[in-house]
Amino acid sequence: MIHLQNLYKKFGSRLAVEDLTLHVPAGEIYGLLGHNGAGKSTAIGMMLGQVWPTSGKVRICGHDVTAHRRQALQKVGAIFESPAFYDYLSGWRNLEILSSYTAPTPRRRIQEVIAWVGLSGREDSKVRTYSHGMRARLALAQALLPHPELLILDEPSDGLDPEGIHEVRQTILRLHRELGLTILLSSHLLNEVEQLCSRIAVLNQGRMVFEGTLAATKQHEHWVRLKVGDFTLAASQLREAQFIQDEREGKFIALQPGVGTDQVVKLLVERGIPVYEITSEEETLEDFYLRLMNGQREVN
Amino acid sequence: MFYRHFRNELWKLFGKKRTYIGFGAFILVQTGMLLMLRFGRVRADMERTLAGNGYLAQEYISALTVAVIMLIPQVALLMPLYAALVGGDLVAKEAEEGTLRMILSRPISRFRLLLMKWLAGVVFAALLVLVLGGTALGLARIWFPWKGMFVSWPGIGFNVLSVGTGFKLFLWSLTFMAVNASVTVGLAFMFSCFNMKPAAATILALSVLFVSIVLENIPFFESYKEWFPTYHFHTWIRIYSQPTPWDAVGQTLCILLALNLTTFLVGAAAFQARDIKS
Repeated sequence: MIHLQNLYKKFGSRLAVEDLTLHVPAGEIYGLLGHNGAGKSTAIGMMLGQVWPTSGKVRICGHDVTAHRRQALQKVGAIFESPAFYDYLSGWRNLEILSSYTAPTPRRRIQEVIAWVGLSGREDSKVRTYSHGMRARLALAQALLPHPELLILDEPSDGLDPEGIHEVRQTILRLHRELGLTILLSSHLLNEVEQLCSRIAVLNQGRMVFEGTLAATKQHEHWVRLKVGDFTLAASQLREAQFIQDEREGKFIALQPGVGTDQVVKLLVERGIPVYEITSEEETLEDFYLRLMNGQREVN
Repeated sequence: MFYRHFRNELWKLFGKKRTYIGFGAFILVQTGMLLMLRFGRVRADMERTLAGNGYLAQEYISALTVAVIMLIPQVALLMPLYAALVGGDLVAKEAEEGTLRMILSRPISRFRLLLMKWLAGVVFAALLVLVLGGTALGLARIWFPWKGMFVSWPGIGFNVLSVGTGFKLFLWSLTFMAVNASVTVGLAFMFSCFNMKPAAATILALSVLFVSIVLENIPFFESYKEWFPTYHFHTWIRIYSQPTPWDAVGQTLCILLALNLTTFLVGAAAFQARDIKS
């Protein structure tokens, strides 16, 4: 659905995106992660033909965005952080205006989408009277009007309260489930990405530093939380028995491949070290992300 | 699609209260001027000028004469200011508010979008002048008779016109005012296409006009004055010369239309090249 190939973007002397190659397959909810200024919005801008690439290729739905913008964006909807509207016009008029840039949209379709996003009854009110959540729904409505196959969401939860964030998350899942859309989600909210995406790419200072499935982010090391009488003694015993690869923070051990927690408990109990708690510690996306960023800082 | 996109721009432009503030200001100023012309000393001065040229004042101090006099300061001061304000907003305001990014995530070409915006700007300029001319004439008619007119202006001298000729030339002068306003809108629109704030686009457009007026009036540039756009802006009043210099008027019209086209193309080129970011 989205193919970026060796994409570069320079603003003056600053390299905003460097050699970005990315492939988002159809039907996926794909997460784009990175700190502020990592190049996420620039990359999305290039996907939508708003930012000209310095070099490289951008193909959306099989069409080159630079050369064939019209065909490439025909089936694309987009939502940006803090969506902007013509506040002095009604929600309905905003939808009419924005959808007409893709194709003429029948009134029935507009009504259908308004109902889908839950704005029925407020469509004739001026947008300036809308709450933040209603604006987010209107943004979703305008993105859905052209029957998109691909939805690009740039920080869609930005500025929303916890309820709004939850609503956006549920809506994304619903869009994927009910309409089968391919979704590219750029977000700062790691737990949101963790709950929604099946695959992610992480950008750091314009470069992609990780690309893979969410499951792959959790398979780097197998950490186990161990609560014992004497952790130092326990760790040395386990290391001596070649049960562990590593230990950290006085409470975590990384097991050798093939070693189970039952073997650890058995060995420690046999050696007279009481075990109060042992549990698998699955790495969160946040742990993975922070470790990745720290690693990058050390490299730089 | 052309119609829909054009209609969008008109909705956006005429949906804003800000668009109508200028109309209100014009009517206020016109009312003030009318009162001045009716009750102030200006009327006595006009009667003296007419009598000095051997004409009866009551025959030529008419609604048409008063309407043209009322239009002079507005065309020189208020209209450029207001046209530049609207022109400066056309692209830069949308870029500033983020709606441009919403539009450009859709499969519309930048050129088409700009063309529609520019056309909406031209419609606005024409409407502005129509309202300006219509209210000037309508207000003047309240106290002044529908008779022949006179126009006295540096460069065209003193001209007395019958009511029929006067009204025909009044309509022509409105056409030229609309062209002037569209050039000002176009100039501000051009700056608005660059990456800048709406106010900066407005100020730059007004600065260009101001510099043009200053240079045009410096004696050193007397032989070059036709190179300055504001020189051609005076055609709306020059049209009252007798006989009307239609060849020079046609030439001016071509120059102003070419200037309009140039500013549009420069703006379009700049807009095409720029990156649209939040």
